[in-house]
Formats: sequence, C-alpha cells, structure tokens
Amino acid sequence: MKRKRLTLTQQRSLTGYLFTLPFIIGFILFFLAPFVQSVVFSLNHLRIVTGGYELIYNNWENYKHALFVDTNFLPTFTQTLLNMLLDVPAIVFFSFFAALLLNQKFKGRLLARSIFFLPVILSSGVIAGLEASDYMANMMRETANVATSFLSGPALTEFLMQMKIPRELLMYVVNVVDRIPEIIRASGIQILIFLAGLQSISPSLYEAARVEGASGWQTFWLITIPVLSPTILANVVYSIIDSFLAPTNDLVNYIRSTAFGGAGFGIGTAMGVMYFAAVAVILAIVVGIISRYVVYQD
Amino acid sequence: MIRRLRQKFWTTKPTRSFGGDLAVLLFIAAAAAFSALPLVYAISNAFKPLNELFLWPPQFFVRNPTMANFYDLLVLMSSSWVPFSRYLVNTLVITLGGTVGHVVLASLAAYALAKHDFPGSKWMFSVVVLSLMFAKQVTAIPNYLITSVLGLVDTHWAIILPAWAMSLGLFLMKQFIEAMIPDALLESARIEGASEWTIFWKIVMPNVRPGWLTLIILSFQALWGETGGQFIYSEQLKTLPYALSQIVSGGIARAGVAAAVGVIMMILPITVFVINQSKVIETMGASGIK
Repeated sequence: MKRKRLTLTQQRSLTGYLFTLPFIIGFILFFLAPFVQSVVFSLNHLRIVTGGYELIYNNWENYKHALFVDTNFLPTFTQTLLNMLLDVPAIVFFSFFAALLLNQKFKGRLLARSIFFLPVILSSGVIAGLEASDYMANMMRETANVATSFLSGPALTEFLMQMKIPRELLMYVVNVVDRIPEIIRASGIQILIFLAGLQSISPSLYEAARVEGASGWQTFWLITIPVLSPTILANVVYSIIDSFLAPTNDLVNYIRSTAFGGAGFGIGTAMGVMYFAAVAVILAIVVGIISRYVVYQD
Repeated sequence: MIRRLRQKFWTTKPTRSFGGDLAVLLFIAAAAAFSALPLVYAISNAFKPLNELFLWPPQFFVRNPTMANFYDLLVLMSSSWVPFSRYLVNTLVITLGGTVGHVVLASLAAYALAKHDFPGSKWMFSVVVLSLMFAKQVTAIPNYLITSVLGLVDTHWAIILPAWAMSLGLFLMKQFIEAMIPDALLESARIEGASEWTIFWKIVMPNVRPGWLTLIILSFQALWGETGGQFIYSEQLKTLPYALSQIVSGGIARAGVAAAVGVIMMILPITVFVINQSKVIETMGASGIK
C-alpha cells in the first residue's frame, strides 16, 4: 500500500506539534493538572481520612467564606490590586530608561549592569531570609524611604498643587516617589529583558537611518520603540505577574497562611482561584490595549 | 580636560551636551547606590567579629576584619553528617539540569508557536500565559500528589522536570523570536533545503542569543535558591540552600556564620551574571540579515 504524502501545511503543522510536544507534556503534568485539581479542591471540603483524603462538595461554601466571612481577605485583595496598578507603570518606565542608558557604550558598563541586577540576587532564597532578620538592613530600607520622602513631603505636594497639575496625576507621582526604592529593587529582571531586546536590534537598521539623515530623536521613535514593542509588552506582562506573585505580596502570604494552617486548604484555594481570575482579567485588558501598538516582524 | 575625559569614558563619540552626560551619570549613580548598598553591607558583615555584629548602634563598615565566620562555617559543615561538597553537587545538578532543559525545551516550543501556525497553537499559547499567573502556594498540594504519582518524590527530578516546563521561558522566547526573526530569513533557509531542526539551531537560536542568555540567568536564579523542602527527604540528596538555612536557623549565636553564608550564596550567581552579560554584549553586530 502506498503511504499518503502529507501536504506542505500538514508537514508544517507536524513540526509545530513535534517541537511543542516535550514542553507541553511537562506543562500539562506540572502546571495544568495541579491547577485543575486546585479548582476542584476550591469547590469542595477537603477532609483527611486514612489512606488519603476525601472531597465533599459544598456548593461554593469556600468562596462565600472567603468573601463574606473572612474580614481580612477583601481589604488585602483590593490593596494588592491597587499597589500593582501603581507599581507596574513606574517599574516599566524606570527599567526601560535604565536599559537605554546601560546599553550605551561606556567604560564599566558591565559593572553598572551587574549593580542593577544585584537586588534580584539579594532578594532570592536564603539571602532574603537573612536580610529580613537583619536589623541594619531594615534600617537602611527605612533610611532610603526617608531620603525619598522629602520629595513627596507636604512642600512638594503644595508646590505641585499650585502648578495646577490634575489631582489624580499628582497623587500618582507622590505615591511613586514614595516607592522609589522598591521600584528600583523590583526592576532588575525587566532591565535585563529590555537590554536583551535592545541588543537584538539589527545595527543595520540604525545605519540605514543614519544614512537617510534621521536624528537621534527620530531614530528612537521610528526604530527603537517599534522594534522593541514586543519586548515592552513582555515586560509589562512580566511586571504584573512578578508583582502579583512576589513572596513579599501581602495577599499571597495571606492565602498561604489560610491554606496551610488557617481556615483550611479549601478556602485558601478558593481565594487563590479568585486572585487568579482577577489577575487574568487585568492582564487580558492590559495586553489587549498594548497589543494594538505592537509591531511584529513578518 | 573634561572633553578628553568624556571621550575616554564614552567609547563612541559623545552626542549629548555636558549637562546631559552629567544628568545621566548622576541618575545611574543614584540608582546604583540604592542597589549596591545592601551588598556592600552584607559583605562587610561577613567579615565582622561577633562583638562588632552586635554593636549598638550598628556599624556599616567592618573595623577589624576577620575570617572567623568563614572558619566557623567550615567547622560546622565538616561536622555535619553529609559532606558540604555533596550539597553543592546536588544544587549544581538541579540548577544546571533544570536550566539547560528549560532553555532548550522552551525555545523549541516558542519557535513552533511563534513561526508555525498550526491548529491549536493560539489556544496553547494563551493557556501557557494564563498559567504564568498562578501562585505556587495554591497548587502546592496537587503538585505534590502528581509528583508522587509519577514516582519522583525524593529524587532530583521532582525539581528538574517542573523547571523544564516553566511557562515564563516559553513566553519570553516567543516574544523574542517574534520580534527578531523575520519570516523571510526562515523562508530563504527552507529554500536552501534546511530542515526545521537545522533552522532552529543554526538560524533561530543564534539570532535570539541575548534572549536565551537572559533566560539562563532567570532560570539559574530561580533554581539556585531551591531548598527542595517538600520533595526531597534523603539527607544526601538535599540542596545547599537547605543545608545553609538549617545552619542559619541555629539562632543568634550563628549570626556571624549566617553573614558568611549570605556571601557564599551570592558568589556564584554574581559570577554567572557577569560572564553571561559579557557574552550578551559580544553579540552586537552579529545579526543575520543584511
């Protein structure tokens, strides 16, 4: 019997499936399956019995408990969302600016890059645990906050008020200034991603622009920004997720303490699922807006 | 004089005004100070004798530097049941195995999702992006159940295999491939008769080198601090961060040792970062299309 030959599109699809398969298998096993199971847990009452556990369906009781009985969940939830909305734009702008500077050719830029990445190393695992228990480290954090707080102090607010800057914008600026140290610390990975994006821009594009007589300003808006736009999108998504899942995030800590020790695993997962849904909606809106301006190579 | 210095500093011709340069430098310096101070403090702490560590008010810099803390750490380590080198090897196995597998598998999948429009590809990618948002704490119990069903509990695979499928890598690599690889480049390679496998290794990967170099750092960073607490029970399989955190939890008398531990844990990530970034800089100008 003659084997049927695949069409070109079928061949392409086949490579597509083959290349994604190893990743997708791992993904289904270690992420999708636990996730689905978590959703199941959140709808049930979990009881430990001999030889395992037993699930008793309890009709959204966990969700009702989290929303209407628990007094801490909703305030922490809204506060966390608000902080995220404040931080993410500031982080993306700061890291973009820093990456542009660090991408220029100057002596010692490798050192400068390393310094900007240090907070990421310092905030991971064992080292973070050490820092948290250290008095002096805490004090330095305080000092940094005092150092920036004069900027956001009453004098500045007063001054800006007189400049007839819209109140909402003003409050945003004041809040961001208050959080400068945290923003710098949270930008390490975003700076790296932007740098990688900047490094990948073909120099021939800039050459062509220079030959055509474009100014630095025009080159920036007509080449750097469009070519970098997918990276900007990636960074916005990364920053949102990073701020949502950071170990320092109050809500994540609250969910953890509820799931392992507090009101029970079922209620903890219910909170987790709601949190997930909220992030998903925010992310979908943000990505939907930004994608319109993103330019892809084709 | 100033002009000469500036020409030396910027390797290319300066295009900004002097004031602009100054502003840029001040900005970098201020932000760098915020980032670097904790590190300087941590290093200085590691060399402090015990009496200086508990000095009130605390001192930023060490006055009588000593190696005592590192020596104490060595003594503590040599008296432990499993030798120090065992913990280090375990962590290296997990970090290297996890990072290499993750970068290769995620890039392969990202290439397919970015450049092959096959049925279900869009859907697959959205599910992966959604999964980025799920807190590990919430899936902890189901995760354990699955690891146990697969028979991976108490092996290094319990940490390495999930690391291979971290969604962040796929997402980042897809963004990079979409942004940097024009279809025309792939098409011309296909016309020359290159197989998809060759295209991936010879064309796609070299062109997104800054992308995967960055991914290596992210993955390394995530795995280096892995304690493996919930999956690994045998002492001889445990990781370095786990062993060190046990030592640190010895209380206030271990404050000096804890400071030394902090510095030791930082050395490798910083080294990897510096080597890695010097490679990123080298890629400049090696772009494929003319």
